[in-house]
Amino acid sequence: MNPSTFFRLRVMGILLSTVGALVIFQIVRIQNSVSAQSLSADAVRNYDYEERKIFPERGSIFDRWGRLLAGNKEVYEIGVDIRYVKNPASIAEIAHNVLELDYDTVLKNVGQGYVPGELEYVVLADFVPLETINAISETKENYKRLTPNKKGEKLPSLEGLLWTPHLQRSYPENALASNMIGFFSYRDRDQGRGYFGVEEKYNDLLAGSPIKVKIPRNPYKVREIPTVPPGASIVLTIDKDIQASMEDIAAKAMKRNGATSVTIVVMNPKTGEILAMASTPNLNLNEYWNYGDVFPDPTPYNRAVGQTYEPGSVFKVLTMAAAIDAGAVTPDTPFLDTGEVLIGGYTIYNWDRNAWGPQTMTTCMQHSLNVCLTWVAQQLGPTRFYQYLQAFGIGRKTNIDLAGEVNFPLALPGDGNWYPINLGTNSFGQGVAATPLQMITAASALANDGKMMAPHILQSVVENGRQYNNTPQVIGNPISAKSARTITTLLAKSLEEEASDSLVEGYRVAGKTGTAEIPGPNGYVSNLTNASFVGWGPADDPRFVVYIWLEKPKSSPWGSIVAAPVFSQVVQSLVVSMKIPPDNIRLGLVQK
Amino acid sequence: MAAITQKLEQAYRQAPWRSQVQWSGMFLIFLVGFVMIAGLYLSISAQAATAGLDVQDLQVQKDEATRRTADLRNQLAYLTSDSIMAKRAKGMGFKLNRIDEPTYLIINGYSGRNLANLAPPPGLDMIPAPVLRPAYTQSLWEWLFQGVLSYSDPSIGGLQ
Repeated sequence: MNPSTFFRLRVMGILLSTVGALVIFQIVRIQNSVSAQSLSADAVRNYDYEERKIFPERGSIFDRWGRLLAGNKEVYEIGVDIRYVKNPASIAEIAHNVLELDYDTVLKNVGQGYVPGELEYVVLADFVPLETINAISETKENYKRLTPNKKGEKLPSLEGLLWTPHLQRSYPENALASNMIGFFSYRDRDQGRGYFGVEEKYNDLLAGSPIKVKIPRNPYKVREIPTVPPGASIVLTIDKDIQASMEDIAAKAMKRNGATSVTIVVMNPKTGEILAMASTPNLNLNEYWNYGDVFPDPTPYNRAVGQTYEPGSVFKVLTMAAAIDAGAVTPDTPFLDTGEVLIGGYTIYNWDRNAWGPQTMTTCMQHSLNVCLTWVAQQLGPTRFYQYLQAFGIGRKTNIDLAGEVNFPLALPGDGNWYPINLGTNSFGQGVAATPLQMITAASALANDGKMMAPHILQSVVENGRQYNNTPQVIGNPISAKSARTITTLLAKSLEEEASDSLVEGYRVAGKTGTAEIPGPNGYVSNLTNASFVGWGPADDPRFVVYIWLEKPKSSPWGSIVAAPVFSQVVQSLVVSMKIPPDNIRLGLVQK
Repeated sequence: MAAITQKLEQAYRQAPWRSQVQWSGMFLIFLVGFVMIAGLYLSISAQAATAGLDVQDLQVQKDEATRRTADLRNQLAYLTSDSIMAKRAKGMGFKLNRIDEPTYLIINGYSGRNLANLAPPPGLDMIPAPVLRPAYTQSLWEWLFQGVLSYSDPSIGGLQ
């Protein structure tokens, strides 16, 4: 090889090697520069992971047979990524035609063009149903297939229009059991929570735990994708069919009697399970924002737990049960009714201001004699009388698992607001206030051999793929089993002898009507009453306790006229729903 | 031995291309080795990325299925809701059962309708099993290291 050629080759080699070395040096220098590190950190921060707050699917609510009362449905948020918009007018047009939005407002929002660092995404609408999305998607695809007729022609385009699916709380039964279920304010996607009923009481359980997570965009890191367990689902003790039937009866009773409101509670006395709880008015839970119109202040959301009232003569069952249990009276204890009794310096009269002459305890209950019950309370004495009332849970919350339970404190001897006349008035349910739930809980002890069960609405919780059942609990034993059976027989007999409208052919039931005057700022308003009924059946083996309250009925002020027939309707419906045969058939079947 | 060495040195002096071929060969061996390792890494990386994208896709499908299931359950509940069913029943000529209409029979062994049973009760098998076996998440080194350890210490399970 020529030495000069070899020299040139050597120079070329050195030159190319130097260039190569410089390239490598520059690569290493760039990789390790401050800017590169900042860029790398920025990339990791913005592109490796996406930070997102994940709300778990809200747990569902079922009735006792597993039928859905509150679930979730798929809806969409529609927005526009301004960076990709080609034709703002097309987007504004479809937003106006399909989503019923204002054309000019949409055009103004999406047609301003993208400015780096400024707003990229604009929300047009939320909670849009799938059908609407399908229509928009079809239009978008059709626009994509269009070709211009001439150069420069601006074609319609929905590029930039995006939709993101998410779940929305849904109540397939609309207003059914609304007073117990409550509602979830789903329109507030960040701060939404449960209001009233079980939605509020079990909000934390249903909601699960929303977490902020980093979702990897880098496919090498996908194993770190977090999973958020859904909220727990709950199964209620209520029976949807019985609830629907009770709500129907309540609505008809309210209309028929011109009552301000009607409340019906049905409980299983053996377990404390609430089978139905109807309270007017009802709210369509899918339109919960109408709450203010449906429940103008101070209307309680659920009167069964949210309003106390003077129950009147239904309270006499507690007085009589206490006296029988204490041995102060028996069903046949004689009493001479003179029509009035003086107590604490005041005279108490019967409801009709008449003297009923010789009576027994059974006929006292049958004729609902205030004077007789005042005498019964006097036989017990204030100490024992109020001990029994406290044992029945009067003046104390039942702690049912529903939000918004209220209580009216019981005035006791020695309290500043207790006077000797209270013993008399309290014995027939005046001067004392309770919620329908407190009353039915107390009465359930009479229907369950003296055992008072904790009223509850939660049957079980389904969490992490497991079902945890709620165990019924005894919260008291206010009277003995024998006393409970005695008062049940007494009340059944008094209804039969009275030929009450509450009776149901073929079924022996026990119960008591109640008519209470309503106290106002100026004392009792005589022309307005609360009509009530408490009853249970079948008398020999009670399967249900029912409490009925008609507030300010206009058709008649008397519980025996307006509330007793409602009880009869309720029982007629219950025995069919609960498959309880008539007494003669049932006892015959038992014997077989 | 010295004679052979002398002959080789002479041969290389007479034909220096032999040395160049040797160097080129060594370079090519190194290059081929490097390319093979790079190719292996590239292939594994590509497979890992594809698997990652598949997982992401499956995650999206899972979310979609969860939403769809919830939605369908809701639709079913709506279609069987009290008001809809009452309307359908009325349209089909059904009427509500009245108190005096049912006939009651004893059915041996039938204990009545069962309450909602949406999931099994809590039990001893509640400790969740890992979804992925370690073999799918271990690096090559971890796998080898565990393998070596398993031979030296029988208490460590090496086989996956």
